[in-house]
Amino acid sequence: MSFSDEKPGRGFAPAPRFILQAGGGCPEFARKKLARRRQLHRTSGVWFLALFICFFPSFCPAEILIEPRIGFHGVFQLGRPFPLEIQLSNSGRPADGTLEIAVWKGGATKGGAPYPLYYRRDVFLSAQSRKIVQLTVDPDFISRPLKITFLSPTETVSREIDLRRYFSPAPVMLLVSEGNTILPVSVGSSLSSRLVALTLAELPADPRALLGVSHLILYDQSLRDLSRSQQLALDAWLTAGGRLVIVGSLNYPLYQEPSISRFLPVRVTGIKRVSFSPGLNQSGNLPPIANVWAQTSTVVSGKVLVEAQGMPVIVETSRGKGRISYLSLDIGRPPLSQWEGLPKFLQNLLTPVGADDLSPRTRWDDAVFSQLILSPSFISAYLPTGSLFVAIVGYLFGIGVFAWLWQSQHFPRRMLVISLLSFIVLSTVGGYLVFGRGGNIPDGVLLSSTVMESSADGYVEAQSNLAVFSTQIREYSLRMERGWMDFIPVSSSSRERPQPAVVLQDGSGSSRFQLPLREWDYRLFRIQFVDRFPLRAEFDQQGGKLVVRLNNLSSKDLIDCWLVVPGQRYALGDISRGVSWVKEFPLASAETPERSPGRRSDAVDFREIPFKDKTREILFHSSFFPRDEASTRWSAGAAIFFGWVKDPDRRVSVEDPRIRNYDYTLFRAIIPLAGPEDE
Amino acid sequence: MKNNPLLREGVEIFFLEGHGFAVYFYLLIILAPVLFLSLYLPSLDTQMWSGSANLFKVCAVTTLLLTVYLALRVANQEFAPWRFKPIKRWMREDGLGVSAVSQGQLAFLSLHVAFSIFLCAPFLIWAGAIARTPFLRVAVTLLLLLFYALSYGIWGLVTLVLWERRAETRQVFIRCFFFCLVVFSALFYLPVNPVAFLLAYLGRQELMPLTVAGWKIPASTVHVTFHLMIGMTGLAAYRWALKKDLTF
Repeated sequence: MSFSDEKPGRGFAPAPRFILQAGGGCPEFARKKLARRRQLHRTSGVWFLALFICFFPSFCPAEILIEPRIGFHGVFQLGRPFPLEIQLSNSGRPADGTLEIAVWKGGATKGGAPYPLYYRRDVFLSAQSRKIVQLTVDPDFISRPLKITFLSPTETVSREIDLRRYFSPAPVMLLVSEGNTILPVSVGSSLSSRLVALTLAELPADPRALLGVSHLILYDQSLRDLSRSQQLALDAWLTAGGRLVIVGSLNYPLYQEPSISRFLPVRVTGIKRVSFSPGLNQSGNLPPIANVWAQTSTVVSGKVLVEAQGMPVIVETSRGKGRISYLSLDIGRPPLSQWEGLPKFLQNLLTPVGADDLSPRTRWDDAVFSQLILSPSFISAYLPTGSLFVAIVGYLFGIGVFAWLWQSQHFPRRMLVISLLSFIVLSTVGGYLVFGRGGNIPDGVLLSSTVMESSADGYVEAQSNLAVFSTQIREYSLRMERGWMDFIPVSSSSRERPQPAVVLQDGSGSSRFQLPLREWDYRLFRIQFVDRFPLRAEFDQQGGKLVVRLNNLSSKDLIDCWLVVPGQRYALGDISRGVSWVKEFPLASAETPERSPGRRSDAVDFREIPFKDKTREILFHSSFFPRDEASTRWSAGAAIFFGWVKDPDRRVSVEDPRIRNYDYTLFRAIIPLAGPEDE
Repeated sequence: MKNNPLLREGVEIFFLEGHGFAVYFYLLIILAPVLFLSLYLPSLDTQMWSGSANLFKVCAVTTLLLTVYLALRVANQEFAPWRFKPIKRWMREDGLGVSAVSQGQLAFLSLHVAFSIFLCAPFLIWAGAIARTPFLRVAVTLLLLLFYALSYGIWGLVTLVLWERRAETRQVFIRCFFFCLVVFSALFYLPVNPVAFLLAYLGRQELMPLTVAGWKIPASTVHVTFHLMIGMTGLAAYRWALKKDLTF
C-alpha cells in the first residue's frame, strides 16, 4: 500500500497522513477516525452558524430610528412647554448614548439674541429594542426647527422637526373619557381652543407639560390607573392655575373612588333623573329638559353655582390658583347629548378665567444684580475684603518697621536688607497662596431671591430670581427641586458676547441645568415653583378697620413681618411657626391721616420700610417691590402683608462646597381693599 | 560697577541716608488704597457687573503710572537734589568719562525701578490672585512695568544732563513728556499707549493693527517697537548730551 492508493479526504488533505501515523498502519481504524473527524467538523460548523445567527445583531452597527410625537396628539400651545415623546428603535447592536433635543430660546419676542437650549438624557438601547423617552420642551420661538439627536460613540442620528405644523395660538383643552361616550365635537365645536381627546395613560407625568392646557375635562373616567407622577403633575398643574372640569355620568360609583373624589367639591351619593332648567345658567329662556341624568351629591367645599330641584348641578372650588368645576349632569347620554343648546351651555362652563394681575412680577435684571452684588454687605460673601485689608495694613506696617530700624541703625544693615527682601518675598508668596488657592474666595455664588405669593388652600406660587456668578472658568450644575414650573434665563441686552448654552439634564425625576461660565461672569434666571406653604393671612375690611387673621401652620418662622395699607404701615415683628392671632388695624382715610407712634400717615411707600440686613433691603426695594411700580400699584387700595422666611427651603442648589448658596425668601399676601365707592 | 562713584552716590543718598524713602512711601501709600477700594468699584458700565475682574488691571495701571512718573523724577534728581554732585564736576574734577557716568546713572535708575516694582509686587500678585489672573500674565505685567519705567525713565536722565542747572525747565519737560506719551498718546493711536496696551493684554483683547501702505503691522509689534525706539532714542540722546557736556 502506498500513499497514492489512499483517496484523500474531502477538504482536509493533511488528515490521512496524520491518521496513518496515528493508526500505526491500520486502515479501518483510520477510516473510522477520519469519518468521526469529519462529523465533528460538520457539527462545529453548524453550531458556529447558529451562534452567528443568534448574535448577528451584535456584529452589526446600531441602527437607530427616531420617531417623535409632538404635544397632545400633534397639538401644543405656542409659547408654552409641551410634551415630546420620542420613540427610539434600534435594529442593530446595543447602543449606549445620549438623546439630545435642541430648541431655540430668546429671540425677538424675549428681547435678546437667540440661543440654543439642549435637553439631554442618557439612554441605553439594547439590541433589537425600542424605547420611549418622554420629555417636556419649551422653545421660545418655532421658526427654527427642533432637532432631535441620538449621540453614541459609534453613531449619531438626528432628525429635525418643523414645529410650525403643530402649534395652536390658544391653550389646548384635554378630554379624558374612558369609553369616549361623550362626543368631543359637542364640546369642541363651540370653543376657540383645540380640544384633544386623550386616554389616561397619555396624560403627562410632568406638570410643565400641562402648562399649555387650559382645561382638563374628565368624564366617566376612573383615575385609579393614574400613576404617582401623573397624580403629582395634575396636582401641581391645578395649583399653578389649571382648570379641572369633572362631568358626572351615569356610572356614579366611579366618582366615589378616592382617586377622583379628592378632587371633587361634592360627595357623590347616587344618580337620579331630574328636570333641568338651562335658563338658570344664562343660556337664555330655554324650556326645562326633563329626565336628565344627574348625580346626587352633598357639597363638601366650594360654591354651588347652579342647582336643580335642590341638587347641586354646578359646583366650583379652588385649589391653589386653579379651579375645579363639577357638573353633576350626564351630558353624554340622552336627553342632554341630543340637546342643541349643549355647546352653548358647555361654553359657559369652559370660559377661560382672566389672570389676576394684582400680584406683580418681581424685577430682575442687570441693574438689580449690580446693585446687589456691589453692596458692601454682600461683597464680603465672595471677596476676601477683611483678610486683604489686614494683609495690606500688615505689609505697610512691616515696611515701616524696616524703614525705622534702618534709620535707627540698631541692627546691621546687611541683616536688615536680607530680612526686608525675605519679608517681601514671603508676603508675596503667602498672599498668593491665601488669595489664590485658599482664602475666602469661592468658585462661584448662587444667589436665590424668592417671593412666595400666597394663594388659597395653603399653596404658594414662588417666583425665584437666581443669579449664578463665577470667579473661575467652570461649569455649573443647578439642581431643581420638585415643583418647578418654568425656568427662564434672563437675557442681557448689554452683553456683547453670546449667551452660553444651557443644558437641561432631565431624568430619574430630577432636573439639572448645566451652564458654563467664564471667570467673573454671571447669568440671571427666573424660576417659578408651586409649593405648599400653609400660612394663612386673611383680611376682612370692616368699615374703618382691617381685621387680620394670621395662622402660621408652616414649618418655618417668619421674621421682620410688616403689614402695609394705604397711608400706614405696621411692624409685626416675628411670627413663629404655629402662631395664630387675630388683630385689628385701623384704616386711615385720606382726609384724616393717622399720626400714632410707629406709623406713618403718608401713602404706601415701601422705601421707608427698613430691614436690618442690607441685602434684604436691596432685594425688597429693587426687586420685590420696585420703586417705580410699588407706589402707583397699591396706593389705591390694597393690604399687603409680608415677612421674611427664616432658613427657607432650598429650591435650586449647586452641590459643590466651592460654590456658596444664599437664599432670601419673602412671603407676601396682597389683598385688594374696597374703596369708598365700593362700599 | 559696584565701585562706580555715581551709583554709590545714588545708593548712599537714597537708601543709606533715607532721602529716597519718600518715593517708595508715595508709591505704596497710593497703591494700597487703590488696591483695597478697587474691590468696591463697579465696572465702567454701571449696567454690567464684572466683579473683581478689574482688580488686577486697576492695580497694574496704577503701578505703571506711578513707577514711570517716579522713575522720571528720580532720574531727574528731583528728590534731595542738593545732595547730588553735578555731572560736570564728576567729569571735570573727578575725571570720569561719559561711559562711567552713564553706566552709574543707568545702574542707579535700574536699581530704583527694580526696587519699586519689587516693593509693589505683593500688592500686584495679591490682586492677581483675587482677580484670578493667570500667573503668566501677572509675570509678563511685572516685566512690562520694568520695561516701561526704564524706557521712559531714561528721558529723565536726558533732561538732567541737558538742563542740569535749570531745575524748573527739567520739571516742566518731564511732566509734559509723561502726560504726552503715557496719557495723551491714547488719543492718537491706542496701541502706542502703555495703559491701553496693558489693559488690552490683561483683558485678552486685540488692538487695532497699524496699516501702512496696505501692510498690516500687529499692534503688539508696533507697541514694543515704539517703546524700544523711545528707550534707544533716549539712550542715544543721553550719551550725546553727556558728550556735549564734556566738550563744552
